Amino acid sequence: MQIKLEQLDDNRWLIPKAGKMRVPGLIFSSKALIKDIEKDQSLVQVTNVATLPGIRGYSLAMPDIHWGYGFPIGGVAAFDVDEGIISPGGVGYDINCGCRLMTTSLIANEIMPNLRKLLSDLFIAVPAGVGSTGVVHLSKKEETEVALEGAAWAVKQGFGRPEDLERTEDHGTLEGADPSVLSDRAMKRGIDQLGTLGSGNHFLEIQVVDKVYDLQIARAFRIFEGQVTVLIHSGSRGFGHQICDDFLKEMGRQLPSQKIDLPDRQLACALLRSDLGRRYLSAMACAANYAWANRQILMHLVYETFIRSLSIGPKELGMELLYDVCHNIAKIERHTYKGREVSLCVHRKGATRSLPPGHPGIPPLYRQAGQPVLIPGDMGTYSFILAGAPGAMEKSFGSSCHGAGRVMSRSQAVKTAKGRAIHRELEDRGILVQSKGKRTMKEEIPEAYKDVSQVVEVVHQAGLAKKVARLKPLAVIKG
Amino acid sequence: MISTRILLTKGTDLKKTMKDLPYTLLDHTGDMAVCITGSDPIDLFENAGRALIHIALGDVPKDQGPSFSIDLSGEDLEDLLVQWLGEILYLLEGEKQIATVFSVEHLTASHLKATLGIIPFDPGRHEILTEIKAVTYHQIQVTDRGDHWEAVVIMDV
Repeated sequence: MQIKLEQLDDNRWLIPKAGKMRVPGLIFSSKALIKDIEKDQSLVQVTNVATLPGIRGYSLAMPDIHWGYGFPIGGVAAFDVDEGIISPGGVGYDINCGCRLMTTSLIANEIMPNLRKLLSDLFIAVPAGVGSTGVVHLSKKEETEVALEGAAWAVKQGFGRPEDLERTEDHGTLEGADPSVLSDRAMKRGIDQLGTLGSGNHFLEIQVVDKVYDLQIARAFRIFEGQVTVLIHSGSRGFGHQICDDFLKEMGRQLPSQKIDLPDRQLACALLRSDLGRRYLSAMACAANYAWANRQILMHLVYETFIRSLSIGPKELGMELLYDVCHNIAKIERHTYKGREVSLCVHRKGATRSLPPGHPGIPPLYRQAGQPVLIPGDMGTYSFILAGAPGAMEKSFGSSCHGAGRVMSRSQAVKTAKGRAIHRELEDRGILVQSKGKRTMKEEIPEAYKDVSQVVEVVHQAGLAKKVARLKPLAVIKG
Repeated sequence: MISTRILLTKGTDLKKTMKDLPYTLLDHTGDMAVCITGSDPIDLFENAGRALIHIALGDVPKDQGPSFSIDLSGEDLEDLLVQWLGEILYLLEGEKQIATVFSVEHLTASHLKATLGIIPFDPGRHEILTEIKAVTYHQIQVTDRGDHWEAVVIMDV
């Protein structure tokens, strides 16, 4: 199927309404990136999303868009709360997969002599890789509390500090969670995985602030060139996967009764106002909370390991949470649509919330600067800190990209990496890597991803989020 | 409406790639697309189960273990295939049990009855090579090719 794209300006491409599409598609991309986007079927997925009931504005896609299942990864879609749907496929299996960035008082030169030891110590302290189990052993009752309270539960147990919650999207607790709607299977899969990084594209990275683009915002975020930062990318593990799976099945079965015609079975959804729609929102909130608790615990493990490994005190380390963002979620938010303030259910699948300066959803500490937006790249290049830009609410329902985005399938990446020592290649570029699985290293080679700098440039130029600083990896743990 | 299908690339020699294993991996940017074949629907489903375990764990010795019954109702063969693989995945992820023997006893377009031989997952003996998050409905296909049956399933990894 050939999609007709109309270039609107340097950074926006329109897919005009056709067939059963209820709204047009709108892709944020440069001319260079759109060539890669056109290679897979993600644009067809943008048009499929545009057919769903109650969609408002556009079926949006960020410049890191790539082919997902059902919704494209990098897709954003807002639905009317009365007429619209909620779709587990619009959130993804890894509910509240997200990023957490910690700043420190350390400068890179101070840790370089001990970097290898620090990485090894982190590799031992932070459970990673397939089938890893956590340092936290939950009872069923405690798992229920995690699902209800999120990061606040972890802080109550001594993982981190209360001020971390203010610097976490939604304070690390999504309202409306109801563990009574969860299956036994979801509870079982989640019980031993809290406090684990996971596998695949999940990682932990020690970085250095390599370049500051906006000094004023960088000051507000307490970032300076040469500073050591740590980025964590993880999600809700098997708990979230099972919740998505359970509800996809149930929604698929109830589709005929809801009279929703779908172009792809994986888009299974329910009306937001229906009992099933409300139950999914409650279950999804449980997984979102699990993920925030997970990243809160992982941060604390990193904090303790830095102190122990570098033999320094908490003050000298100065580790603070900059911000925690989720990038697989659906949330009921207030937006202005056609001149009226309305409640919309915004699905962000592989997209980050990006609130502009002054928005009440931003912690007071950063309100003048805009919400921190964290964009990880591949393990060989850069990650970026951005800030929500004025106009993002109107242009993208307050959303930005979430990463580099794959251009190569996993099997293609493994083939490309055949015979190469990826560890050594990265080390030659000044990046130490430890990984649980050899295959993961090959699947995650830098060439498998788009150039994150180009992706970030699009959201900056399009006015979705403003570039603040660039982070260079020093040492990486891959799951 | 608009829908897309994964096509086997020209020149894909299924017989060659499936000499030892009942599946082949197809290119998919985000996740893992798997093509499975079988002589008939029952063979196809059993091979699909073997493929999932092979992707997750590689070669697992077929130890004798207890049996586990599965009884599923579905909308069609595609729905049943996703559910069937979902059960095998849940046994591994949730119950830490590896299915090593796959015996589908009854299969229609709306019903599947099977028995699995299972062994406990032992971290000392078994290594998870690929963490499969879920078996998806995205672009699921079960097709009668005349001389054999074929399925394409996308797994979220």
